[in-house]
Amino acid sequence: MNFLRGVMGGQSAGPQHTEAETIQKLCDRVASSTLLDDRRDAVRALKSLSKKYRLEVGIQAMEHLIHVLQTDRSDSEIIGYALDTLYNIISNDDEEEVDDVEEENSTRQSEDLGSQFTEIFIKQQENVTLLLSLLEEFDFHVRWPGVKLLTSLLKQLGPQVQQIILVSPMGVSRLMDLLADSREVIRNDGVLLLQALTRSNGAIQKIVAFENAFERLLDIITDEGNSDGGIVVEDCLILLQNLLKNNNSNQNFFKEGSYIQRMKPWFEVGDENSGWSAQEVTNLHLMLQLVRVLVSPTNPPGATSSCQKAMFQCGLLQQLCTILMATGVPADILTETINTVSEVIRGCQVNQDYFASVNAPSNPPRPAIVVLLMSMVNERQPFVLRCAVLYCFQCFLYKNQKGQGEIVSTLLPSTIDATGSSVSAGQLLCGGLFSTDSLSNWCAAVALAHALQENATQKEQLLRVQLATSIGNPPVSLLQQCTNILSQGDKIDRRGSKIQTRVGLLMLLCTWLSNCPIAVTHFLHNSANVPFLTGQIAENLGEEEQLVQGLCALLLGISIYFNDNSLESYMKEKLKQLIEKRIGKENFIEKLGFISKHELYSRASQKPQPNFPSPEYMIFDHEFTKLVKELEGVITKAIYKSSEEDKKEEEVKKTLEQHDNIVTHYKNVIREQDLQLEELKQQISTLKCQNEQLQTAVTQQVSQIQQHKDQYNLLKVQLGKDNQHQVSSSDGAQMNGIQPEEIGRLQEEIEQLKSNQELLQSQLAEKDSLIENLKSSLTTPDTNEATASAGESEQIAELKQELTTLKSQLISQSGEMTKLQTEKQELLQKTEAFAKSVPMPIESETVIAAKTADVEGRLSALLQETEELKNEIKALSEERDAIKEQLDSSNSTIAILQNERNKLEVDITDSKKEQDDLLVLLADQDQKIFSLKNKLKEFGHPIEEEDELESGDQDDEDDEDEDDSKDQGHIQL
Amino acid sequence: MTYAYLFKYIIIGDTGVGKSCLLLQFTDKRFQPVHDLTIGVEFGARMVNIDGKQIKLQIWDTAGQESFRSITRSYYRGAAGALLVYDITRRETFNHLTSWLEDARQHSSSNMVIMLIGNKSDLESRRDVKREEGEAFAREHGLIFMETSAKTACNVEEAFINTAKEIYRKIQQGLFDVHNEANGIKIGPQQCISTSVGSIASQRNSGDVESNSGCC
Ligand SMILES: Nc1nc2c(ncn2[C@@H]2O[C@H](COP(=O)(O)OP(=O)(O)O)[C@@H](O)[C@H]2O)c(=O)[nH]1
Ligand SMILES: [Mg+2]
Repeated sequence: MNFLRGVMGGQSAGPQHTEAETIQKLCDRVASSTLLDDRRDAVRALKSLSKKYRLEVGIQAMEHLIHVLQTDRSDSEIIGYALDTLYNIISNDDEEEVDDVEEENSTRQSEDLGSQFTEIFIKQQENVTLLLSLLEEFDFHVRWPGVKLLTSLLKQLGPQVQQIILVSPMGVSRLMDLLADSREVIRNDGVLLLQALTRSNGAIQKIVAFENAFERLLDIITDEGNSDGGIVVEDCLILLQNLLKNNNSNQNFFKEGSYIQRMKPWFEVGDENSGWSAQEVTNLHLMLQLVRVLVSPTNPPGATSSCQKAMFQCGLLQQLCTILMATGVPADILTETINTVSEVIRGCQVNQDYFASVNAPSNPPRPAIVVLLMSMVNERQPFVLRCAVLYCFQCFLYKNQKGQGEIVSTLLPSTIDATGSSVSAGQLLCGGLFSTDSLSNWCAAVALAHALQENATQKEQLLRVQLATSIGNPPVSLLQQCTNILSQGDKIDRRGSKIQTRVGLLMLLCTWLSNCPIAVTHFLHNSANVPFLTGQIAENLGEEEQLVQGLCALLLGISIYFNDNSLESYMKEKLKQLIEKRIGKENFIEKLGFISKHELYSRASQKPQPNFPSPEYMIFDHEFTKLVKELEGVITKAIYKSSEEDKKEEEVKKTLEQHDNIVTHYKNVIREQDLQLEELKQQISTLKCQNEQLQTAVTQQVSQIQQHKDQYNLLKVQLGKDNQHQVSSSDGAQMNGIQPEEIGRLQEEIEQLKSNQELLQSQLAEKDSLIENLKSSLTTPDTNEATASAGESEQIAELKQELTTLKSQLISQSGEMTKLQTEKQELLQKTEAFAKSVPMPIESETVIAAKTADVEGRLSALLQETEELKNEIKALSEERDAIKEQLDSSNSTIAILQNERNKLEVDITDSKKEQDDLLVLLADQDQKIFSLKNKLKEFGHPIEEEDELESGDQDDEDDEDEDDSKDQGHIQL
Repeated sequence: MTYAYLFKYIIIGDTGVGKSCLLLQFTDKRFQPVHDLTIGVEFGARMVNIDGKQIKLQIWDTAGQESFRSITRSYYRGAAGALLVYDITRRETFNHLTSWLEDARQHSSSNMVIMLIGNKSDLESRRDVKREEGEAFAREHGLIFMETSAKTACNVEEAFINTAKEIYRKIQQGLFDVHNEANGIKIGPQQCISTSVGSIASQRNSGDVESNSGCC
């Protein structure tokens, strides 16, 4: 406030005294009048004075105006005037309208005024909140000045006002509604308000995006005709840039919301587009920048690559390439398009591949890359365009081994187009490298270096490149040619910067030789190179040459660090000694340090884009600064290291190698073991297989065994039963225990024996009858036979006798048995009776003793009897055995007899046959006798009657058998 | 790429309860034990399928600290769903639910679906808030409830999807004006959806939305 009073005091001479008084009066009316109309008129009057007497009105009326905003909300008119007045006081926008021609520092002063009044206004946070709430008023007279006032406040003191809006509930959301206002003026000013609101405030940017700002703004841009649209499109694009730049969350949201696809139509600017308006150029420029915001190399890698992919998928990249190859495109649009394409393809293989396939619509069609490179090495092209092409080329090769290989291959002898009908990228680069324009030299050198970046293969391939210099001279290698030019030192003759060419070539050589011992060897092979480098470094040259000295030191350092000692004369150690002798270690390191200490170094290290204000600044390449960072330290170390340390290192290396050998040995062992393991595993698996098979067999067999066991058990049970039967019968001989059981058993046995006996007897009877039959049939045969059968019948008779005795014995035995049984029964009864009589204690002891003696006597008698019985049974069983034996022997005799009988029968049939034969013979002889008798009769011999009769019967037969007689006669003969 | 609907969610709750981890688990299917403190709001998105419809979920993960509370408030109005998260191993995060809920109810549209989440269910041994308490709180305030673990991914998917199901159900019932983007719902491109498709989904029992699969 003190400051304000000072300002006011200084200016008090300006406005006439009456105006100050008028303002005061008006303020009084605003404050004290009870009539709304009156107050409204007063505010309107203040408004009209506010531009001309900004300071006075601001100081005197501010609080009254705020009061009006608080109390007169019902009247939109007075609110509108109050807002307008406040806007006039705070805003610097309409400054030029004021015919203020007094002092040159008035602008600065009025800017101060604006921020001072803003500070006063926002000191009460409620004032901002009040303003926000007024924006909800739909009335144009309120809303529009309200928007303008808030925008001014934000422009004056952005961060503070942003903070107040951020913490007021729904503050940002309400402002977003302005974009939906149907009145264009408000919508457009709403865009400006949001621009101011979102500037450098991530939190607000996110809320605005959350409130669908992207959708709304893209809709507005589309509605307005994209780049054809007016300044509204420009404002929308600036707001979009505010929302997206360096805001990963919003970028992600933008991509996720598929808004990248909506950018594609922006770039559909046809060839037929005649004449580009300034607004159109501005719009397109902003559109391109918006694309670049999404794929900036400084974004998180993942975010950029996903946007790059989306841009290819939706055809945005393709659209951009169309602009690239179109004619009549304004230079700055073309340049920005190249820069945009660069970043859309950078490090993204798919996009890089697509870019390599783009052709310019020339005749014959040339690859876009070639056309662009032509611009890069063309001095007549604008500097920014040439920088853009270099950037594009770098981005095309970034992390693109395939692209690098393609570029280098266009330089190799085998692939160079002999007809020369089409220019190749390689030719253009070589042309640029050795042209007389230093800028072309630098660009070509850096471009070529990018074809080698992190690519050992291409570093070696490039060594093969040979250049035809002048006619008659032998070709010279590319490497040689580079060093030849370098060796000209500061006497080099080029258009442009004196050092640019050499810096470019040195950067190329450093890149080429780093991490490539073969290239180092090639380089050292030229005996002029090392002396040249040491000479350059050692010399005390002017400040201009310091950078070249530093780069020479770097190159020499690389030649040491990546030296594989394959050249006797330039082994590591020798080069180091050379440095010590010719330059001095300290000096060498100091010169090396010149590179990173260069004023342009840090600038280049920040961003990949070669963005130089003018050609003189074109010194460092971004990728090269990375190489320097990587190598400066290790080279310094390598130089300071003593030869002993080096030796030690060698030793360490050797031991490491030994270790490596050991490791390889073990690796081999492990490999072998691995193989063995594999084999064993296979064996295991086959064994497992077999095992499984066997197991199934075993289980099958087990079940079979179980079955067998079951069967066996079953049989055993059956057998057991059988055995019991057998046991019971065989145990019968063993007699002990209680008599009734034994007797029972004996009885059973006897019963069995009896039945056996009966069976045998019936068999015997059968056989008897058989024998009888045979006997009767054999009464006639020979005496021999008769004696034999007589012996038999004798035996049989004996057997019969025996059997009868046995029978009688059996009968007596069974009689005895029954007797024994009855006796036993008696005994049992007696025992019972005795048992009953025992418990009678009345009788005297003598009686008892006598009785006991009696009982004892009886008992012993019984026992004796039992003993006897036992003996009898024993005898019986012996007898039985004997009988059995006899039976067996008689059975066998029977069998023998049977056999003999069979023989006899055969004999009988034989003898019967003999008898028959004899009978036949007899009959024959009878016949003969009869025929002889008949003959005798014929011859008159007397024969007995009986014979005649007999022969008469035979007569008929004879007649019939005349032939027979002849035969018989024949037999006779 | 295309979707039938787009739903906007916000994740709210005290700092450290695992909001960012839940989002990461849902969008990237991974867990980051050491996670940066969320400054302001972070964005994530994923497509889900509900009733055969592709639904795009846009999720804003907020910062839980008091100082960011006012910023968080700006997100309520435009969200269709909110995941209100507490940490089952820290009772105070449960105690603060009321204040979060007040904020949400005050600044959101009345139809916003709120899912109450008890996170870190993998830390059973350190449990400080019983599951039943969470259930009771949810019942009392008409919220859906689940216990989740952003670490093991248990129920994370379900939490986000069940919220979407509930929003979808409300759309079918005609409770949401799908043509007003301020509700946090947007109809996908080339989708013709009449405003009264109600029948199919409204027949479905809301209970199945609340039923949570049993791994926690
Ligand atoms: N054990 C376990 N830890 C979790 C879980 N979710 C988050 N955390 C841990 O809790 C801490 C806070 O998580 P963060 O997501 O940053 O919480 P925010 O502040 O709510 O976003 C981190 O250390 C996480 O590793 C979970 O489900 N289980
Ligand atoms: Mg977080």
